[in-house]
This record gives sequence, C-alpha cells and structure tokens, in this order.
Amino acid sequence: MKKLQEVLRDWEAVIGLEVHTELTTLETKMFCDCRLSHDDEPNTNVCPVCLGMPGALPVPNRKAIESIVMAGLATNCEIQPRSYFYRKHYFYPDMSKNYQTTQGPVAFCMYGHLDLEVTGQGAKERPDSTVSKASDGSYVAPIRILRIHMEEDAAKMVHVGGTEGRITSAAESLIDYNRCGTPLIELVTEPDLRTPEEARLFMEKLRQTFLTLGISDCSLENGSMRCDGNVSIRRRGTTEFGTKTEMKNINSFKSLHNALEYEICRQAEVLEEGGIVYQETRHWEPSKRRTVVMRVKETADDYRMYPDPDLAPFDLSDEFVERCRARVPELPDAKRDRYINDFGLKRADAAQIAGDPATATFFEQAVATVKDKVVPTVANVVVNLVPATKAVTSAQVASLSSLLAADAITFAQAREVLEVIDGTTMDPEKIVDERGMRQSTDTDALSATVEEVLARCTDQVRQYKEGNKKVVGFLVGQCMKASRGTGNPKLFNQLLRERLEA
Amino acid sequence: MANFDTLSAAAIAAGVKAGDFSATEVARAALDAIEARDGEVQAFLQTSAELALEAAAATDAARAAGEELGPLAGVPMAYKDNMHLVGTRTTCASKMLYNYESTFTATCVQRTLDAGATPVGKANMDEFAFGSSTESSAFHPTCNPWDTTRVPGGSSGGSAAAVASGEVPLSLGSDTGGSIRQPASFCGVVGMKPTYGAVSRYGVVAFGSSLDQVGPFGRSVTDVALAMNALVAGGRDHLDSTSQEVPANFLDGLEDSVEGMRVGIISALMEHEAVTDEVRKGLEAARAALEAQGVEVVEVELPNMTSAIAAYYVIGPSEAFSNLARFDGVRFGYQEPNCTTLAEQTALSRAHGFGAEAKRRQMLGAYLLAAGVYDKYYYPAQQVRTLITDDYRRAFECCDAILLPTSPTSAFHFGEISDPTQMYASDLFTISNNIAGNGGVSVPVGLGSTSGMPIAAQLQGPAFKDHTLLRMARALERSIEEAGLAKPGTVAPAFAGKGGEL
Repeated sequence: MKKLQEVLRDWEAVIGLEVHTELTTLETKMFCDCRLSHDDEPNTNVCPVCLGMPGALPVPNRKAIESIVMAGLATNCEIQPRSYFYRKHYFYPDMSKNYQTTQGPVAFCMYGHLDLEVTGQGAKERPDSTVSKASDGSYVAPIRILRIHMEEDAAKMVHVGGTEGRITSAAESLIDYNRCGTPLIELVTEPDLRTPEEARLFMEKLRQTFLTLGISDCSLENGSMRCDGNVSIRRRGTTEFGTKTEMKNINSFKSLHNALEYEICRQAEVLEEGGIVYQETRHWEPSKRRTVVMRVKETADDYRMYPDPDLAPFDLSDEFVERCRARVPELPDAKRDRYINDFGLKRADAAQIAGDPATATFFEQAVATVKDKVVPTVANVVVNLVPATKAVTSAQVASLSSLLAADAITFAQAREVLEVIDGTTMDPEKIVDERGMRQSTDTDALSATVEEVLARCTDQVRQYKEGNKKVVGFLVGQCMKASRGTGNPKLFNQLLRERLEA
Repeated sequence: MANFDTLSAAAIAAGVKAGDFSATEVARAALDAIEARDGEVQAFLQTSAELALEAAAATDAARAAGEELGPLAGVPMAYKDNMHLVGTRTTCASKMLYNYESTFTATCVQRTLDAGATPVGKANMDEFAFGSSTESSAFHPTCNPWDTTRVPGGSSGGSAAAVASGEVPLSLGSDTGGSIRQPASFCGVVGMKPTYGAVSRYGVVAFGSSLDQVGPFGRSVTDVALAMNALVAGGRDHLDSTSQEVPANFLDGLEDSVEGMRVGIISALMEHEAVTDEVRKGLEAARAALEAQGVEVVEVELPNMTSAIAAYYVIGPSEAFSNLARFDGVRFGYQEPNCTTLAEQTALSRAHGFGAEAKRRQMLGAYLLAAGVYDKYYYPAQQVRTLITDDYRRAFECCDAILLPTSPTSAFHFGEISDPTQMYASDLFTISNNIAGNGGVSVPVGLGSTSGMPIAAQLQGPAFKDHTLLRMARALERSIEEAGLAKPGTVAPAFAGKGGEL
C-alpha cells in the first residue's frame, strides 16, 4: 500500500467521529438510583429499573442533564430548549428493556464546533490548500459538531468458549448489568475532518475539554470514552462523498490515527485497482496494524425510534442553562491564552499544561508562590521534568524552579534533585546545599577560572577567532572541570564570549 | 352480624376504627366470601390469604396500640394482576409471566396498604390488558356476576367482578382505553379512570405508557372517592416521572349540591349505530337524573372523537410493542426449553409465551413504528391526539363534565364477539378520554330493559378536575337512587350473602 501522504495528495479523506463518553464522575445511573461503578462484583449495582423488570419506570438523572449541557456549552453548541428521549429498539440481552433510551432528531446540544490547531509533523498530513497555513505549515481547522445527545449505556457481556468472543459460537454468555444504564453522552461530528492527525487532535481536545469540565474520567483504555471513526475518500477536487466504512475498537489516540491511516490507504488501493469500497463496519487490530470486516451493512437497521412515553419532553429553562454555564470552568484554550499573555509561556508549554486539568492545577499552585520571572521556568519543569516523577509537590517544584531561574543549579542537576525528593517532603534547597550543588555566580571568581582556561587552551582560542564559534562549548566544559562543577555554565559561556569577542 | 358484602368500604374502615369488628374478622369474611363465590365468578387468579391476615393483624395491632388508623383500615382489596405486590405473582394473565414473583410493590398498591387496606388477591384480566372481555386471559375466563354466561368486560374484568360479586368492596384496575370504566359498566359498579398522572404507574406492568392509568372500582362513588384519597396521598411519586401532585381530598364536598353546574351532551353520539336502545334509555335516565339535581344540560361537540379509535390503535400497539419487548425469556418469565441459539430462544419464548391478542398488538406496533410507516401512522395519530385534546378543552369551556355512555352495549355473552375490530369498538366512548388524558367515571344507572344487565353512564371531566367529576358522579348516583333505578352498594343478586358472614 502507498503511504498516507502520497495517498492524500491524490485523494481527500472525509472523516467523521462518533464519540461516546460515560459520565463516570456522577454518583448514580441515568434513570435509577443505582451506584455507578465498574469495579464492583457483577450485577451488584442493579435494580428493577436498570434490569428492565416489568413495571419499572425511568426517572432521569438531573446531574447527567447538567453534565451534557455543560459539554454542549464547552463545545459551542446551541442548547435546545425542548428535546425528547426516544426509544431505540433492538433485541439483545445487553439492553435489558430491549430498547435503549436515547434521544431523537433533537438532542440537548446541537450545532457546535471546536477549532483545532494543527502543528508540526501532523500538519504535513494535509497537503491541500483549502486551509490557510502559516509559514511553519501549521493551520487551524474548524470542526463542526452536529449534536451531543444523552443516552444510557448497555450491560457488559462476556462470551465464554467458542471463537472470536462472539455470542453465536459461545458456550455460554455472561451479562453484567452494573454498566447497564450508565449515563452516556454521544457526540457526533460533521464530516469535517480531513486527516488522521486532525481526528486524533479532535479526540484529544474533546478529552481535555471533558476532563476540564469534570464530567468523566475519559479513559479510552477502560472504555469510558469510546470513539468510532467513519471514513471515506474522494478524488481531490470532487465534492461527492465516497462510500464510508466505520472503524470500531479504537481504544487509544494512536489507534484512532493508525486505524484511519490504514483505512484511507486501503480504500485508495481498492479504488485505484478498480475495486469497490463496501459500506461496512471494520474492526481495528492494533497488533497487526490493520482493519478487518466486522459486518456488512446491507440495509439500514430499523430501530423503530419513537418518543419515550415514560419521559416527558424536556424543557430546559434559561435559568437552568445559565446555572450550567456558570459551572463551566476556564477551558483549555482560554487557559492556554492566559498563560501566554499573563505569564509569557511558550505556546506549546502553555497548551500542554492547559490541556490537562490536573497539570494546570498543579502548575497554578506552583506559580502562586514564585516570582513572576520564575513562571516560565516552572512551566519548563512541569512540562519536561514532572511527568517522569511519581509524587512531587507543587511547593517542591516552585522551590526547584526558583533555584533554576536564579542559575543556582543546572537543568541536569534539577532532574537529579527531583529524583532524590520524589515521594518525600524534602525541600530542594536543602538537597542542593547538602550535596554542594549550588553553583557559583560570583563573577570575579568565575572570571579568574576563565582567564586560567583561556591561557592554557590557546588552540581553541585561535580556532574561535578564525570563526569556529562552536568551540566555546569545549571551553565551557574546561571551565566547569576547573571549577569542579560549581561554576554556572551559562555564566561561563557569557564570560568566555565577552573575553573572546573583546 | 351481617354479611360483610352489605358494608361499604367506608363502613368497614369506620367499623374497624370503632372496634365494631376487627380487621382480621373482616379479612376472614372476605376470604370466606371468595371461597364461596369465586368458583363461579373466577375473578381471582390468586388469593393471598397469608398476606391478608398479616395485614389485618397489623391493623388490629395498630388499633390496640392506640395508633391512628388509615382511611382504608381493614378494607379487603383486590388488585389487577398487572400490579406488583411482594408476596404474590404478577402474571398479567399471561403464560409469559406464569411464574413471575413480584420483586417490589407498585406505588398504587403500597398506598392502599399504607392506608390500611387488606390485600386479598390478584384479579384476572385480559392478557397484558389487551381486550375488553377478560376472555384473553391465558388462565381462565371471569364470569359476569349478574349473569355468568356473560363476560365481565375488560381488561380489568376480574377487578370489576370481584367488587360486583361482593368478594371485596374495593379493587384496583388499570384503564388504557376503557379497561376500568367498561367492566364497571358491565358489572354494575362504579369505576374511575383518574386524569393521567394523578396516580403513579410505578410497578404496574405497562401496556401503553402514555394511556395507562390506575383507578379504583367500588360499589359506590363514595368508596371510589375514599380509594382515590389513598392513591394520591403522599403526593407525586418520584418513581414515576409522569406523575403529578394531586392535592384534592375527594371526599370533601362530595355530597355538595351540583345545582347550576353544567353537563355537556353530544346528541350525535347517541345516534351511533352501535348504541343499543337500552343504553340510550339508560343515558336518558342519567340526563334526567342530573337535571333533577339542578344541572343544566348543554350541547357540546367532540368533532374528532370518531377518530379516537383509529389513533388509539396506532399509539396503543406502538407503545405495547415497545413495552413488551423486554419479555424475551432471558431474565424472567417463560423461557422456551432446549433452544440452541439466543435468537431461537427469544423467538420461541415470545411465540409460545404470548397469546394471540398480545402477539397481534405487538406485531401491529412493530409495523406501525417501522421506518417509512411511522410517518404515515404514528405521527398523524399524535396529531389526532392533539385535536381531540383541543376538542375537550373547547367543550369544557362551556360545561363541567360531559355525559355519555360508558359502553355502547351491556355485557355480551362469552364468544359473542370474535372479530377483534368489533371488540375494539366496544371502547368507542371511553378511548378518547385516554387519548386526551382527562378523567372519566362510570356510574350504574339501572338495569337494561332488554338484557336485564347493568347499564352505566359515563361522566368525563377536564384534566385534574377529578374532584369535581366525582362530585357530579355522586349527584348522578344519588339522583338515580332517588328515582329508584339503582342502589349504591348493590351486590349482584346471585352472589349477595354467599359466604362472608361477619
């Protein structure tokens, strides 16, 4: 098969995503009082309602409605003043009532959008000129969101024996209804995504947004956030949609990217060889890095959708929506911009910190106690050093960053200090002093060392003067050696250059 | 003393409170009466002697302890077998649920128990409430106590017959298209379908969720009002999101004069070919009786009423298909043995678990909700629903209640109606009430001149004006008694005094 970038020169990929997110941070299920938990013994968090026992009736979870409205507001959706729950029928034991309660044509949230900043290598996947690209190739892709609707999750089924873990060949099938009735929101994008990288970024941004809202733990691994990718391709310059396939079993950002990449290339190969792409559901096999057919959709399934008569239409008052709006915290994009504007952070650092609510909180705690000019250093430490640690506190990071910013230690030493204090309550200052790491910033003393090194490294001095400026690195090394590591390399560098240029 | 069937529910509660007799004595009398009478009537699918005696003993103990007793203290009650009561099976008169033990108690049942009622058993019905004669019960027919060669009506035929035969003074039924009022009419008792939302549906196996409403049967309007008080006590049921707060005390002002109030009649309806002469005469008597009470009779129109049956047989089966989808033999109920696949088990459990009418309605519903069909039937049916609701709204602008027959005929013989659509027509005058959601009550107005069977008049009121509706019904009952046509509290003559000495 051809490589993605080659394929995308001739073909345009049209990608839409359906993202299911379980509202894991709620305490109870969507239509009953059962506790939400994935870890309990099977079938312990169940009641007549979620078991679909005769005579049981659903009562909607108000907090779930608040969560979806917040999700809609955070993704620029229009919150619908009136929407309905519908019944979607299919006979399968994972849905105890044999219908799923979901929403119909009008969802709580409609017509939103998220803007993606596509930068670096990923931006190269998109060769076309339909987006305006900056000089470094980066671009902004506005992705429309069709809707976000509320529904309930199905039970978990385990098929024992037989092949492929499917019910048809299983010796027995086990059902755990603990998950049945878990509040689930489904977001459907318009087919606005054009590259696997855009799809990956969209998912990532959505995850960051939902995490910031605190409505879900958004774990792709554990399935609390699930994504189906629909993709078709068409010749560049044409506007008709091709036949799409649907990708299932995507449980990481990487899988999403790779499954779409594979599928785009596969479809291109099929079409270039004169074949036909069938509308089908395909299963991503990460180990073999390929998609395989799950089932062919010959006709559209008839779910016999109709408004659920057990649940009255929802009229969301302006007050309700405004209360939800007031609960939407600062979102990653706004936070990123604030970090750039107020703290002077690098865009990439600001985006990375702002993208993860836990990191952002940690960062803000750390910067609360440091001087303004130390803030970018805190960001540097948070982005580059903290991820490798297990348990350091924001106070420790603040202290360490202050040492770094004052040139009292090097970045390498900072890493060393973090390793020592990780999981302890020790103050970095103390470690630095105990181990004699603190670097001298006494210019007179350092100048003496510089003079001494220059006096004996005449060759290098000559090379520098002949134009080989890189040799200064060697000289810094000599200075560090001569000072037994106590001199500040940045200062040495500065002093050396001043002397050599003089 | 006397036979307990001469006592109204109100008199029993008063007697138990006063210590004239104990709840246990009443319970024994009721069980004794059932023993003596039900061999012929077959109103019960199951009696619950143990539960009855326990509840009665608890009532007696409460009295002995000086506690205040509830308004239904010691009153024996029967419950339609689609209502859950822990300690009894809830079969819906279907093979599908032949062994289904109630896992919780329905709110409506619990509220009568909270009011001190003594639960003596579960009453026969048409399978899953599909029918107007109780002939579709999977277990046995129920006989009309006035003539055991005739049907008691349906679907709540058992509940009506148990009251008419003097086995219990009060029972509960459910009314989706006339299933309380029509059997009340056939059996010569008072039956009330309250406004949709007035009584909780939680724990009542659903047929048509937007149409179903629970209500009481009694041998007088006063007893029905007494039961209504118990059903709405405690306010809105938080387990049924369609239930509403009903503040009225239905006994308050029940005996008040209705002079100057207005009742609407629809002359054109009386000309309907299905209406028998004796029913027409009964209605004339009812009109005269109301006029004798000072009620002004005005002509009103419900122009879309004739479309009600058509709309009902779209909405009802659609909801039934959906509500009955959960009966698949996987978790409860009838399970076909020796199946090799899930699909086979589901198909055969349903094929063999459901009777003909239940299958007919579900297949109809499955068809009506199918893609392409839905828009042609379900949607217009809902539009008709809006039109009928508007008709009622306009009619109630110029009257307090509408007077019309309950059923076009008196009770028919077993097997007399075999064409389902002809059976459906027996709900001609009751269905529009369920479509619009307002309340209706059937009041006996004497015996038919041709059949010698009970004839009834129906009063329909505006939504949530059930209090006024009962007051009008009581005026009608009082006036009919004064005219010597029918006497409140009358037990079908063939059964009066059989067993049940107190």
